[in-house]
Amino acid sequence: MVVKRFIFSLLLALTLFPLAWSISQPAEAACGSVTCFVVIGSQQQVPQAGLLTFNTIYNYTPMRLLDGTNGVIPAIDQAGRRLILDHHQEVRTITQTVNFDMNYGITDRLGVQVTIPYLWRTHKHIDGLGEDGANGEGELVPFRDNGIGDMTITAKYNVLPTLRSMIVAGFGVQVPTGSTSARDAAGELMESPTQLGRGNVGLIGSVYQTYELIPHRLNQFFYGSYRHTFRNNDGYQFGDEYNLSLGANGVPLERAPWLVLTGQFHWRYLVHDNISASLERSATPADAPDFPGETIVMDPLISNRRVPTTGSTYFAFSPGFQVSLDGLIDSPLTKWTSVYFYSQIPIMRDSNNGLAQGISYIFGISRSFQLTKSGS
Amino acid sequence: MMRRCHPSKLGLLALGFTLALSSGLVWAMGSRVPAVGTAAEDFRLVDLEGKQQSLSQYRGKVVLVNFWATWCKPCTTEMPAMQATYDKLREKGFVVLAVNELEDEAKVREHIKQHGHTFPVLMDRDNKVANQFGVFGLPVSVFIDEKGVVQEYIKGGLLTEQVILDAVARIQKPEPMKAASLH
Repeated sequence: MVVKRFIFSLLLALTLFPLAWSISQPAEAACGSVTCFVVIGSQQQVPQAGLLTFNTIYNYTPMRLLDGTNGVIPAIDQAGRRLILDHHQEVRTITQTVNFDMNYGITDRLGVQVTIPYLWRTHKHIDGLGEDGANGEGELVPFRDNGIGDMTITAKYNVLPTLRSMIVAGFGVQVPTGSTSARDAAGELMESPTQLGRGNVGLIGSVYQTYELIPHRLNQFFYGSYRHTFRNNDGYQFGDEYNLSLGANGVPLERAPWLVLTGQFHWRYLVHDNISASLERSATPADAPDFPGETIVMDPLISNRRVPTTGSTYFAFSPGFQVSLDGLIDSPLTKWTSVYFYSQIPIMRDSNNGLAQGISYIFGISRSFQLTKSGS
Repeated sequence: MMRRCHPSKLGLLALGFTLALSSGLVWAMGSRVPAVGTAAEDFRLVDLEGKQQSLSQYRGKVVLVNFWATWCKPCTTEMPAMQATYDKLREKGFVVLAVNELEDEAKVREHIKQHGHTFPVLMDRDNKVANQFGVFGLPVSVFIDEKGVVQEYIKGGLLTEQVILDAVARIQKPEPMKAASLH
């Protein structure tokens, strides 16, 4: 009883710690069109032959401006193939995602994983700087969309199958199932980075490694991935993405093997995006009497241009816990089932004057089913 | 101001690293499951009494090498069946070697005492024998015949008393070779 009370107090403290942290910090935050990412072993591993593991993962990722940044960014008019400098001012993005993830062991070493994300995204920005409003202050334009994002199909191979270690190499294809045609409240086509889908195929290479430091009590893990997405039909190309995660899982109490505490560090580097477009800029007071007024064409040639305020670097720590319901409650309903919760706390963020990812929350449920009998 | 590297260069580097790591490790590491019909590689481990035991010392007997751990539910579920068969057949050329993986000796001793198991329990403290037999999930049971040849390799908790009895009977009384016939 005392042990259980202690464990629940600990879990409560872990849950509330990031909340307390967020209250004491100024309003600086998160990732709008990015979602936070944690390593959940059952997602990255290759299950034994015939084992199907379902993960349903909810992810809340807010994004706001960092202190010392003003959020003035270029407008992407992919329909008109225009890149308009200093035309928008970012306010906020909140992305909520539910990932439906299926991981199946074809053999003991070869697996396939399918991830289908469903996203809810709200975004606010000031549109038309230098163009709209009596003083060229622009107008606040809200945007809201929800739907299926880009699904990912990954083939994985367990390169090092031993009881103590595992190294899994993966190759994934991101299929452009997400919409790229959502419009904002003013009826304008939303910019590519805020759309639910990227609009073209992405390729992902990954490596997952784990080692049991103290068998069945403490293990470390590493996950690294690289994504490249091809240019979409709107002429927009998302920058490459690099992810590195390093962490450990531990069973704190031998009497409660159903409880696993996790701590992991994440580093993400996003290369700047590119668009095939002409180059324009917003009017400024120096352009009076044409201020506020139409945008000014700097280069009418449609060519590949770097989107200047995209690209970011992000470093975070994610504390969390996992509870194996199987070990806690003896029932067919809880067989091979576990739940988990993580919060992701940014340590270092370089958002390039755009929105930056704030404290994010992830919780999920995992359940496995043995579809075919493993045997000799 | 952060320095931005060229994406394609970094990407190629990352992909190259992944491919090199994967292909190198595929060939260099990873335990291999011994094929049925091949000789089982000998091993030497200490039992709970502190005595050295080897696979080769049981040549002439049918050996069930079972890889297990106390935390593994399917392992502990099938152990009573192993004990029952061991009691029935130990005088008829059958032995069980329960190879524990990576656990504390006191914990294993307590479990064995509590469940009254009498078959030899060997401690694979550095995971070497498990790797030798391609074990990367528990339990695994390997039936080895009198000549030291692997006859059956069973993954998962599938052992029952009947399964063990049938396997031992098959190994001890191999089917007579059928005469070749001309069509």
